[in-house]
Amino acid sequence: MKNNKALRNTGLFLLFGGPSLFAFTVVFVIPFFVGLYLTFTKWDVISNDGSFVGFVNYVEVFRDDSFLTQLWFTIRYVFFTVIISNLLAFFIALALTSGMKGERWLRTGYFTPNLIGGIVLGYLWQSLFSRVFPFLGQKYGWAIFETSWLTNTDKAFWALVIATAWQLAGYLMIIYIAGFAGVPKDVIEAAKMDGAGHFTVLRKIVLRLSIPAIVVCVFLSLSRSFLTYDLNLSLTKGGPFNSTELATYHIVQKAFLSNQYGIGQAEAIVLFVIVAAVALTQSYLLKKLEVES
Amino acid sequence: MKALQRLAFLALCLVLLIGATAACSSNNGGSGNSAATSTGSSGGGTETKSDSAPASQSGKEIKITFFNTSAEVNTIFEELFAKYHELNPNVTVELIPTPIGGAQIEIFQARLASGNPPTISNLDPGHIVQYMDRFLDLEPYRAKFEELTLPGAVDGGVFDGKFLGIPWTAQGYGLLYNTRVVEEAIGGKFDPSTIRTRDDLAALLEKVEAAMGVPPVMIHGADWSLGAHYFGALGFSLQSRNADERMAYWQSVKAGTAKLADNAVFNGLMDTFDLLKKHNYRKNDPLVANYELDSADFAKGNAAFYFMGDWTWAVIGSMEGRDNDFGVLPVPISNNPNDYGNGQIAYSEPKLFAIDNSAATPEEQQAAIEFLEWMLTSEEGQKAIVEQMGLVMPYKDVKAVSPNVISNAVAEYVKQGQTIDIGIINYFPSDYWANNGASMQKYLVDHVDRAGLYQEIEKYWQSVK
Repeated sequence: MKNNKALRNTGLFLLFGGPSLFAFTVVFVIPFFVGLYLTFTKWDVISNDGSFVGFVNYVEVFRDDSFLTQLWFTIRYVFFTVIISNLLAFFIALALTSGMKGERWLRTGYFTPNLIGGIVLGYLWQSLFSRVFPFLGQKYGWAIFETSWLTNTDKAFWALVIATAWQLAGYLMIIYIAGFAGVPKDVIEAAKMDGAGHFTVLRKIVLRLSIPAIVVCVFLSLSRSFLTYDLNLSLTKGGPFNSTELATYHIVQKAFLSNQYGIGQAEAIVLFVIVAAVALTQSYLLKKLEVES
Repeated sequence: MKALQRLAFLALCLVLLIGATAACSSNNGGSGNSAATSTGSSGGGTETKSDSAPASQSGKEIKITFFNTSAEVNTIFEELFAKYHELNPNVTVELIPTPIGGAQIEIFQARLASGNPPTISNLDPGHIVQYMDRFLDLEPYRAKFEELTLPGAVDGGVFDGKFLGIPWTAQGYGLLYNTRVVEEAIGGKFDPSTIRTRDDLAALLEKVEAAMGVPPVMIHGADWSLGAHYFGALGFSLQSRNADERMAYWQSVKAGTAKLADNAVFNGLMDTFDLLKKHNYRKNDPLVANYELDSADFAKGNAAFYFMGDWTWAVIGSMEGRDNDFGVLPVPISNNPNDYGNGQIAYSEPKLFAIDNSAATPEEQQAAIEFLEWMLTSEEGQKAIVEQMGLVMPYKDVKAVSPNVISNAVAEYVKQGQTIDIGIINYFPSDYWANNGASMQKYLVDHVDRAGLYQEIEKYWQSVK
């Protein structure tokens, strides 16, 4: 009988978990390991040469100066994007839970950018930066907008950060709102009774009790901005002169433009390791700050 | 027991599902194979009867596939296929479409890898070079096509001495000019043949700038225009009128033995670039590189000159409020009017038809050639290509008139044989334009000087295997 039950459990598990497990295996696990294997081969599509070469591709990755520059560029981009998007989302969420009129509409409004695909979003911002802002800048003499932001290496960086943060903020805002809703009202009331001002309540109570939301948000914004590709493609196309190529963009160019599939794939694996390490470390560290109310 | 039954049932379902998908795919492959073998054997049969009998009249059902990288004209090709099928009911041409600006060659690679290559492929010459061994050598038809096409057109489809690609369209580029604006500025009729040196051009630009009050030259700041059309293609093609010498020079740049700074052509080309840069309409923000906007400003006469090609007609042809008359000038690279390049414009065949020789049967190949010949010589075919696609055909006696004013101006140079063969770029690696383009963009915005530009470009070429 016991045996029977175990079988039934397995059957049930397969019934409900099977399809997604199957999909996960087919579209993620298998390609990942095939991809890993391919980094150890020559992988030449034209001559169909798939001979085993060991770590040659990985050595090439670290000799590819532009990849290392791009990686550093990506890290800077992620740093600013994560900070700006989280700060923005945090304060928007705070404002939209204070009980003001039309909250729901505003929440929907801020969330909308997430319903637009990255490509479309990139083109929207591209026309803003390269057409609308210069037009206004020339008309009213605002020096900062007189030329397109996308043709200047520094401004193009900020254009990327702003567009990403703008999109991410709405998404993170929803999580922060949920986090704030979980802060017990009695704790806040008790604090106010004890004479705590608005700022103290925010700093000592709300912030502390919404650490789980912060952990999730930082994790999400980290991994999403590390893997930005579509926005990069449509907003700057890596330009001016390849100065705004994010790591993923560089990898795609390496594989599909320069036809160096093996090196491109090895770079993707390196990026995976970095993203995994950074994301796991941060969630481990932040988790330590969690408190129970 | 019940649970065991359920589990068995589930397992069975899974097996059936996998089996079904497997059967589907093997079915496809199987039927394809059997069809191929049956036509193959019957092909052998007809061969014994008569070798030269047209495949279209052999009565056998023949299906050929057509892989198209000119994605924007997919539907026009399909109409032609339907028309041909009406005329030759036993031949069916099937389109394998590709997305516009998307992963095109990847589809071709996948077809090759799965042993199911297209019978006819409309490809960039560079890709034909990459997959050279897969295509049919069209040597037996060379004389025929040389008869049909303009002088030099067939040479654009010859790689390492083999005629692999049938030419069907051609494009030219140079320094386009807006005739109205230039003539207003100089106060009279403009004759493009008066501009044969850099000094001629400089004088003209001064005059036009003085009349217009704004810098008159539109430099499109995109990497493909600067890196491929200006620097890479012109620079290496103008090295010599002899193809082998051009190739040898490129090899020595790759080997690091030739320095660009010692090269008269590159220095001359960059001196002219400095001149154009001085008169750049987009001087304030040179890298905006908005193709529609740049083309519109030129077409409406806000800028008088535009370094671009006849393909820009696709954008300006249907534009409201544009000027009507445009011409094209060579880009002079020196002050000697007889130097190669000062009287010629770059001319190339951007797409070629190649026929598969790795899986296609002789009968399919025969049908493919007959179809292509019909498409390229019949009135229906030529009208579709010239009038509907808006392309230029490098053929004699084309029975259709192109509305493209710029390509008609290019055709004048072609008729006189005053063209620059830029075929060397077909041997360049696929990322050269992006790399050279990035360096040229830096030069355009004074991020690097000329020595820095040469250094970056030499470094790139030396890294190419």
